[in-house]
Amino acid sequence: MSGITEREAHAAALAGLSAMTPARLRSLLRRHRPEVAWAVACGEHPDRVVESWFARSPELRQRWANDARMRPPGVLADRCVQARTNVLILGTDGYPPLLAGDPEAPAVLFAAGDPTVLAGRRAAIVGTRNATEGGRRLALRLGRELADAEVRVVSGLARGIDGAAHRGVLTSQGGPPVAVVASGPDVPFPKEHTDLWRAVVERGVVFSEHPPGAPPLAAWFPLRNRILAALSEVVVVVESRQRGGSLQTARLATERQIPVLAVPGSLLNRAAEGTNRLIADGCAAVLDTLDVLVALGLETTRLDGPGPDPRPRPSAADTRILDAFDGDPLTLDQVCLRAGEPIAAVALAVGRLEAAGWLVDTGGWFEPVAHPHPATRGMTR
Amino acid sequence: MGFVGELGLDGSVRPVAGLVPMVVALGDAVRAVVPAAGRAHACAVADRPLAVSTLAELVASLQDEAPWPEPPDPPAVVAVAPDPDLADVRGQDLARLALELSAAGGHHLFFVGPPGSGKTMLARRLPGLLPPLDHEESVAVTMIHSAAGLALPPGGLVTRPPFRAPHHGATPVSLVGGGGSSLRPGELSAAHRGVLFLDELGEFQPSVLDGMRQPLEEGVVRVARAHGSVTLPAEVLLVAATNPCPCGGGGPGACACGEAAKARYLRRLSGPLLDRFDLRVPVDRPPIDALLDDTPGESTAQVAARVAAARDLAMRRQGGLNATLSSSELDDVAPLDPAARRLLRRELERGRLSGRGLHRVRRVARTLGDLRQPDDRIGEDLVALALALRSAMNGPVGVVA
Repeated sequence: MSGITEREAHAAALAGLSAMTPARLRSLLRRHRPEVAWAVACGEHPDRVVESWFARSPELRQRWANDARMRPPGVLADRCVQARTNVLILGTDGYPPLLAGDPEAPAVLFAAGDPTVLAGRRAAIVGTRNATEGGRRLALRLGRELADAEVRVVSGLARGIDGAAHRGVLTSQGGPPVAVVASGPDVPFPKEHTDLWRAVVERGVVFSEHPPGAPPLAAWFPLRNRILAALSEVVVVVESRQRGGSLQTARLATERQIPVLAVPGSLLNRAAEGTNRLIADGCAAVLDTLDVLVALGLETTRLDGPGPDPRPRPSAADTRILDAFDGDPLTLDQVCLRAGEPIAAVALAVGRLEAAGWLVDTGGWFEPVAHPHPATRGMTR
Repeated sequence: MGFVGELGLDGSVRPVAGLVPMVVALGDAVRAVVPAAGRAHACAVADRPLAVSTLAELVASLQDEAPWPEPPDPPAVVAVAPDPDLADVRGQDLARLALELSAAGGHHLFFVGPPGSGKTMLARRLPGLLPPLDHEESVAVTMIHSAAGLALPPGGLVTRPPFRAPHHGATPVSLVGGGGSSLRPGELSAAHRGVLFLDELGEFQPSVLDGMRQPLEEGVVRVARAHGSVTLPAEVLLVAATNPCPCGGGGPGACACGEAAKARYLRRLSGPLLDRFDLRVPVDRPPIDALLDDTPGESTAQVAARVAAARDLAMRRQGGLNATLSSSELDDVAPLDPAARRLLRRELERGRLSGRGLHRVRRVARTLGDLRQPDDRIGEDLVALALALRSAMNGPVGVVA
């Protein structure tokens, strides 16, 4: 990576000021070059608008003066070089064109990895952090199959669905992963995703509107969702609760006329409440990776057709037990109640179904597993 | 003559902690004189002990100025409040079965489930399934309870298996026993021949749980102090409970914990102590249909009858409960049929079962057999059920054991 220009260093330092909102940063950089905007923020250059901010919140002047001492452009430039992060300024070359037209585009964008991988078809996969095992597996599969079709999967590297989707992408040799995060692009969050994070930088790109070293602040997560939505051509919500960040992403996408797709789930599954609501509100349902590819208007013939299920077919008695699940995660007691069979028989059948891959055991809960073969129609969970 | 009691400033004589073991220690040759309030308990272990309520009475009687106070009527057999009944539990077939097995085979039991799933309710019903204490056991338990200063039943002897549920803030001394000059029995001994229930197992101090391993293994507590060491009986049936994760969770998708927090939580539980549990049972809030079902489940009496029969069977066969079976004994008393062998092989190959876990499954399968179909061979269905009864920690973040 080449060095950081003076201009980029000042833009990065501005973005790193505390209490710097996207609106303030845009306002500053619309009216001034980054170097001048920096002087304005430090109170060394008169500016009517900034004076009005300082007047409204007197401590802002103090905080920015402190930050300017602690994190001057020189320091930020070093950090960007160290973290091998590009500084992209709105209105200059290198800034992603598809973001430039967005009304809420970040004035400064940081990119670890290769920002040019955005050129291609893009689909976001988002969902709850508290996903079911079934939801995670599905996100993994969607990620892998979309990447196989050379689609760039855009996601947030959060726990649960987000992380699973990108793990799926990394198992494919196809479309590179694109992540939009709420901390600095070199600050993995959550910690357990450190390796995943690195792999995404390696193979694709991690975008953030915060400079390297910025900690993940709760307030930044909702803001990051607008970039995530703006970068995507379709947004797929895999699992979401009644109110969750992924529903906000869906709303932001809808505001931008970007189609939102949702994966239907059981009515009993709390993690599917939000997605089922989306479908009830008119979003298209995702029953298969093909549905996402169709929404993107892509050729679908390149994917293999549905293959035979490699799992051994359960016996008639076991099929009755499997049917009793009806797609829901159940405890052994609940299976007994639904199937009306004694517990010993149910335990035996469930054990066989689990060994054959029809069920997965998550600490006493059994979840039915979809067809493990890629690209099948009628995917149930 | 031996005198046991505490003298009040007004001359009254009051009972003391440890009255029963002290009276026992006096032996038959020495006539015991005890406080009147403790007479019922002394009667249970000594032949016609004398009782006084004041020092004046004692002096008068010893100087032959007055007869020994009239012994009150022999203690009426007071009905002890019955243990809560198993019929109150709705649904929870797997957990009920686990209680029955635990009582029948002496298997330690671990419940994993979200708050409100009835773990404590279930555990409280376990003592009722155990056979009543015989006289020898009653005396032993009464002595321990007396020494620990616990309230004794008005009838004198403790005849029901005790249920002790120490809080997770308990110190090593309060659980194992010990203390200063007056070595007191801890909760482990107080639960001798009964049930020790540890709710929120992961919240106990690691040192407390470590201190319990040796007593659980040997059935006795050894407390060594500067002025000597004491051995106290501590044969308990251990029942523990925990939430599946820090938030309490519930079904898939209902948990708000990160993988790391969840793994950290489970790590506190894993290890040598967790290995003592033959039964690790997932419980969940009962389904609504089960809650509204009016037909009551089996009562404690029905299940206790089966438990007693299975315990008899095991005692006659190998002279001990099934939880004590060694692996060589297992081959004799619990041979596997080919289908069962295949099932266990599959679990071993998938890395879901360790060698030790295998023995635990076989012991539980033996108890299941004793309860259901007391023939020798262990079939596939019994093994499958035994596996389901230790599935609570299976899954993506589970542990192998």
